[in-house]
Amino acid sequence: MFSREPTPRPGFFHDTLRPMIRFENVGMRYGMGPEILRDVSFHLAPGSLHFLTGPSGAGKTSLLKLMFLASRPSRGLITMFGRDIATLPRAELPDLRRRVGVVFQEFRLLDHLTTYENVALPLKIQGRPEESYRADVKELLAWVGLGERMMAKPPTLSGGEKQRAAIARAVVAQPDLLLADEPTGNVDPEMGKRLLRLFIELNRLGTSVLIATHDHALVEAAGAPELMLKNGRLTIRG
Amino acid sequence: MAEPRQTARQTPPPAPREEAELDHERRGFGGALKALIVETRSVMPAAGATGLSLVLVVAAMCFLASLALGAALTVGRTSADWTRELSAALTVEVKPSDAMAQDAEVEAALKVLTDTPGVLSARALTRADTEALLEPWLGKGNVTEDLPLPRLIDIRIDGHAPPDFDALARRLVEAAPGAILDTHRQWQAELVRAARSAQWLAYAVLAVVAATTIAIVTFATRAGLQANREVVEVLHLIGARDRFIAAEVQRHFLHLGLRGGLIGLGLSVATFVGLGWYAQTAGSFLMPVSGLRLEYYPALAGVPLVAALVAVVTARTTVIRTLHRLL
Ligand SMILES: Nc1ncnc2c1ncn2[C@@H]1O[C@H](COP(=O)(O)OP(=O)(O)O)[C@@H](O)[C@H]1O
Ligand SMILES: [Mg+2]
Repeated sequence: MFSREPTPRPGFFHDTLRPMIRFENVGMRYGMGPEILRDVSFHLAPGSLHFLTGPSGAGKTSLLKLMFLASRPSRGLITMFGRDIATLPRAELPDLRRRVGVVFQEFRLLDHLTTYENVALPLKIQGRPEESYRADVKELLAWVGLGERMMAKPPTLSGGEKQRAAIARAVVAQPDLLLADEPTGNVDPEMGKRLLRLFIELNRLGTSVLIATHDHALVEAAGAPELMLKNGRLTIRG
Repeated sequence: MAEPRQTARQTPPPAPREEAELDHERRGFGGALKALIVETRSVMPAAGATGLSLVLVVAAMCFLASLALGAALTVGRTSADWTRELSAALTVEVKPSDAMAQDAEVEAALKVLTDTPGVLSARALTRADTEALLEPWLGKGNVTEDLPLPRLIDIRIDGHAPPDFDALARRLVEAAPGAILDTHRQWQAELVRAARSAQWLAYAVLAVVAATTIAIVTFATRAGLQANREVVEVLHLIGARDRFIAAEVQRHFLHLGLRGGLIGLGLSVATFVGLGWYAQTAGSFLMPVSGLRLEYYPALAGVPLVAALVAVVTARTTVIRTLHRLL
């Protein structure tokens, strides 16, 4: 169905031998507040599919923020794609961010752009000319069922449509890692199942996927390993 | 779904990232010029705090700046003209008087003149010189020895630091009762002084307007970024480089500055043309008949360019500073 193969990158096969994300004793706090995450250690292998679960307020979004380089840990070591992010020069962060697709919990679509422009944004910021990606973006939009809503602006989209636009934007640049924050939080169970199938399909095409959710039905339906957050600590099941 | 797959495979692989980025930035002079005039769709929203109201503020500021600049240039030119006239020869006339011998009067007047700062040189014309001046009217040899002729002293003054003509005239009369300073230029010197003050005042206004514009554009950029913080943050998080985001914001402010600047320029040109027309019909003395001299219009055209430059530089520094606060 989704035809585009992931682009092999230099060192691709080498990367498969190492985890693409590794957390070691990571702690995180906001400002002077309490530690939201404590001694979090795990790794994600290339091509894997994981769930991140925990009650609301457990720190799922905070953990994802560390992974899409929106915040820094207050302690511990994080390596992404083999690089220690603490020692990485600022100028190299955009390249890492481009390898991570994010479906934000509140979507964060840009209201003044059309759905098409929103989804094309990760390609546009790479400086690619529009002719080089127009067809791909349209194909992707059709694939997530937004072919008819291409020229609509986000405020006129339904919750499920926004969700799918956000997912399309996250995967359009063929990231190595896809992070989805409560992607089924705003849609009915039927749409939830469709979105899950979409993530599984992407995973089959080679993208590592991490889905944060507090929806246990979703986790059971997929039967994938689960990172469980509780009281700031992480346990791994499966 | 099978067809698009085929076409997708046939498209050549995209150029390596860096090269594509450079390619995009290098669109040549024609593209750059077009981009200046027509605002291409940006990923930054155009409306908000940085929209129409800022265009109007920039327009008003550029109008004031153009007026101040035009006034400074015109007044500067006028005062320079007057200064040049002032530095031309002035004349002291020594009439024959009963009190003193004429030669003694000329001597005394010369001494006063050479002692006066601002007088560059003073040369008394001989009686023969004076007779020569009269020849065209009286004919050669018709000037008799006993004809009472005034003696003239040719003086040159420093136009940049003219002497106080009132005081000089007084001292001349004290020293030589028959000496009369041709003081009709005295008021002209006063005017030069006034014009020069006016010129500095105009430049001061220009400086204040420029500083105010910079401050306003800075505030507006900050406010605009605050309003578009979500956009900037999302662009940042999906991997946009600082210079991409800065370029998007800058582009917006370039158009804004240019648009406001051109409106202000248009208003000021209309004002100068109107003043010129008024001067022509009603007669005016500070403003040359043509309004603003043609050669000064290019300088005015610089005002919107400077406004756009200020807007762009301010926007860029503000964006970069904001982005550096993010990880
Ligand atoms: N920007 C922030 N500043 C301060 N505290 C925050 C911030 N974001 C989240 N928190 C706090 O961190 C904790 C974890 O939040 P979050 O990561 O959003 O949890 P979850 O996504 O699992 O619901 C909560 O107690 C929340 O109040
Ligand atoms: Mg959350």
